[in-house]
Amino acid sequence: MTTRAISVDIALGLVPLALLVLLWQGLVSFGYAPPTLLPPPGLVFMRLINRLSTFTYQQEIAATLFRLFTGFLVAVLLGVGIGLAAAVSRPVNAIVRPMVRVLAPLPKVALYPALLLLLGFGHESKIMLVAADALFPILLSTYYGASTVEQKLIWSALAAGTSPRDVVFKVVLPAAAPSILTGCRIGLVISCIVVFLAEMITSTDGLGHVLVTAARTFQAVDMFVPLITISLLGLSLNGLLQILRTYLLRGFPEV
Amino acid sequence: MISAKDIVSRAAPLLACLGLLVIWQVGSLALQNDSVPTALEALRAIPAIMGDKEALINILASLRRMAIGFSIAVLLSIPLGLLMGRNRFVAAFFNPLLMVIYPVPKAALMPIIMLWIGVGDLSKTLVIFLGVSLPVIYHSFEGAKAVQEKMLWSGAAMGLSAAERMVRIVLPAALPEILTGCRTGLVLALITMVTSEMIARQSGAGNILFNALDMGQYDTVFAMIIVIGAMGICFDALFELLRARLVKWSEPQFDMPLSFS
Repeated sequence: MTTRAISVDIALGLVPLALLVLLWQGLVSFGYAPPTLLPPPGLVFMRLINRLSTFTYQQEIAATLFRLFTGFLVAVLLGVGIGLAAAVSRPVNAIVRPMVRVLAPLPKVALYPALLLLLGFGHESKIMLVAADALFPILLSTYYGASTVEQKLIWSALAAGTSPRDVVFKVVLPAAAPSILTGCRIGLVISCIVVFLAEMITSTDGLGHVLVTAARTFQAVDMFVPLITISLLGLSLNGLLQILRTYLLRGFPEV
Repeated sequence: MISAKDIVSRAAPLLACLGLLVIWQVGSLALQNDSVPTALEALRAIPAIMGDKEALINILASLRRMAIGFSIAVLLSIPLGLLMGRNRFVAAFFNPLLMVIYPVPKAALMPIIMLWIGVGDLSKTLVIFLGVSLPVIYHSFEGAKAVQEKMLWSGAAMGLSAAERMVRIVLPAALPEILTGCRTGLVLALITMVTSEMIARQSGAGNILFNALDMGQYDTVFAMIIVIGAMGICFDALFELLRARLVKWSEPQFDMPLSFS
């Protein structure tokens, strides 16, 4: 695609966002929505910038990010590990497949009360919930990616004298990387969603808690601020993952 | 002729369920924690919930909202996703908007939506609709993008109009991917249903669950977890049956682990 086509795409993409803000402003200005229920966008963005520069709000973001990253990391390690193991070993496969079949469609949020009772109200229960929710997309795509690796590649490596253990890490893992990274992307979005929800249910800090406090005191402006923050966080994390992806997959025919 | 191996592989998910319950039973006995009932105690609490008329009406109301939200979302998202996949301008128009909305937890919009349209069915169904539509749009988009140009050209050469090509070539070719999206959407619908009811404590399965947690009725909490979990597994199994019928031709053949010999 030429640079011109890309800039046309970007301009087109900004249209609906601008329309959304315009509609929002219009609803307020023409009096369809009272400002207490729908504060004007200018006010919300001012408030967002204002809050972002305060130390307390930065701490809330840090708490959310810490849970998000730890949970996501646990999910990536477990997901890639179990997914690879299931793709290369028959006994592991026999156990993992039915387990995943049962556990993957389970709504993990419903497990949150159990996690609360087991692990307490601190970081642990939230990290576990994030990890449990992000695990399955990563596990499934790792398994899918690793199982569809061309058998020829493995045989060639074995014929060239690579040990089976090395084949897993030097052939199967890199060949499955595109699929794994796609799974990670889905897992990341899910982590963002789940960490926020967990903080809304019970927490003393974090972005979800900010939203709940604002909702209880009917501060509509403050309700929009954490929502926009989590959206921005999700966008930037997604961007970072995209950069990592282009770095890791350099040399692959199609990214 | 059904072999013994077949029976084992069919019963494997059931065995996994049993195994999990056994692990729970052993774990809770080992923990000796008052707030964690054993699996048997939790299972015994289920008839009490299902027998309660009000609870049953509550759960059915949840399911109705979920069904409505899910169906509307699927019906609207698939055409949009397919259009985005086949037309670069439509994709450029909607992509940034969707990327901004995707990481926002839809259930977190509940407090705001409640302010506007109340705590009734409408706001909860709307939240479920929002939660389901994004993965379905995304997967339909990816599916439609991957359709081979050759097939479209052949269709055009045989005189199919653009709309006909969309329905008769792009839709079937993208169907496996679309159904993957619907499956994610189904799980998300259940998650959003539970959380929206947790936030707007008025009725529904999520309401029973979190009220029981607040009141310290721990066997009800765990019994509801089993009920909601069973719902998820049943929906997934039903969906899998439907999917197997619709897209049997594209069934991936990777049941076998990779061979190392």
